[in-house]
Amino acid sequence: MMEATQAPAFDHAQEIPEEVRTALRDLILVLADCKRLLGIRYADFILSAPTLESGIAAASMAQDEWGHSRLSYALLADFGDEPKSLEHDRGPEDYRSSELLDEPVGSWAELIALGIVFDTALAIQYSALLESRYTPLRNRVQKMIEEERFHFQHAASWTRRLARSGEARQELIDALTRIIPVSLRWFGEADGAGARVLAEHRLVVGSPDGLRERLLATIGPLLRELELLDRVGIADEPEGFRFAGCLDWSGWDAASRRRGRSGPDADTLARVRGDRNRPFLMD
Amino acid sequence: MREPVFEVFARKARAEPLRHIGYVNALDIDLARVYAWSTYDEQNWFEMCVVPRAALVPVNRVAYEATPETKLALERFVRTAGTGSYGGSEVAGGGEAG
Repeated sequence: MMEATQAPAFDHAQEIPEEVRTALRDLILVLADCKRLLGIRYADFILSAPTLESGIAAASMAQDEWGHSRLSYALLADFGDEPKSLEHDRGPEDYRSSELLDEPVGSWAELIALGIVFDTALAIQYSALLESRYTPLRNRVQKMIEEERFHFQHAASWTRRLARSGEARQELIDALTRIIPVSLRWFGEADGAGARVLAEHRLVVGSPDGLRERLLATIGPLLRELELLDRVGIADEPEGFRFAGCLDWSGWDAASRRRGRSGPDADTLARVRGDRNRPFLMD
Repeated sequence: MREPVFEVFARKARAEPLRHIGYVNALDIDLARVYAWSTYDEQNWFEMCVVPRAALVPVNRVAYEATPETKLALERFVRTAGTGSYGGSEVAGGGEAG
């Protein structure tokens, strides 16, 4: 492993060794696509949230996610990508967004589960970039993390509310049970080559296992307070929270951080790319 | 379930006083903070605060007599540090929780 702690910063992607640059580009595209799609899922509830205030909060979170995705796509210009083409011209198999975001979210409880677990996972991955040696990325992350604090607060309050409501509690449990393992797996294999070189060059500070631990440590206390740990497959042990099941790595694609490259469904893709109003897309 | 009302106050600069800008309905104080920030985002606020409407004590428009429980709750509340950034620590006993 190189001595990266004292190593100089990278001001441009071209300064990063090629195999490491590819891994960093993969990570930024995964984050940008996840943010873009998550924004769509929040936006789907602007007009169907339980209250006016929660609809406005959904709109605000959608705006935040789209802002974060735009910033992340823009970074990829430094890697030789054309950001506008990334946003408007790709097929479903080219998207690196999580399987969790491929299809519309079915209910408010499911959206809240997505928020408390997967939105938090994204924030944790971004926070692992706060000390990155790649300066353009590091400079953009702080504001995103600050905005994400409100997302967590919103999701945590609603998680409490739904968990204490008889009917919604089971719906929340079902959604959490589905979303937690996919979100934990999303950080990648413990011995994945990409994660290893990114950590070695201190472009990312944290291993996949370390980030999984942070996610469990962030959501664990809330789930324990609500007596949901056993129900969603998390064990509370002296050394910390632990996922009690096994993560399924079959068909895992490290570059897109998902199983299979099927991508978002047709309607979602059309909305993400802006197909309906494509004639009005300006150069 | 009936949601409590929280009044929203904000100021654009340190030198300005907080002024009332609206209200939100929210089940708890955490959601009130999120809702206030996302609903009243038309300005680049220097500071925003929310206050439970139930904590407002009428002075002149209606007859009002706090129950002993309310008095106790308000007394305990006003002797906590609050945000501290708007001053008032001298009112709240130097910012010490009471």
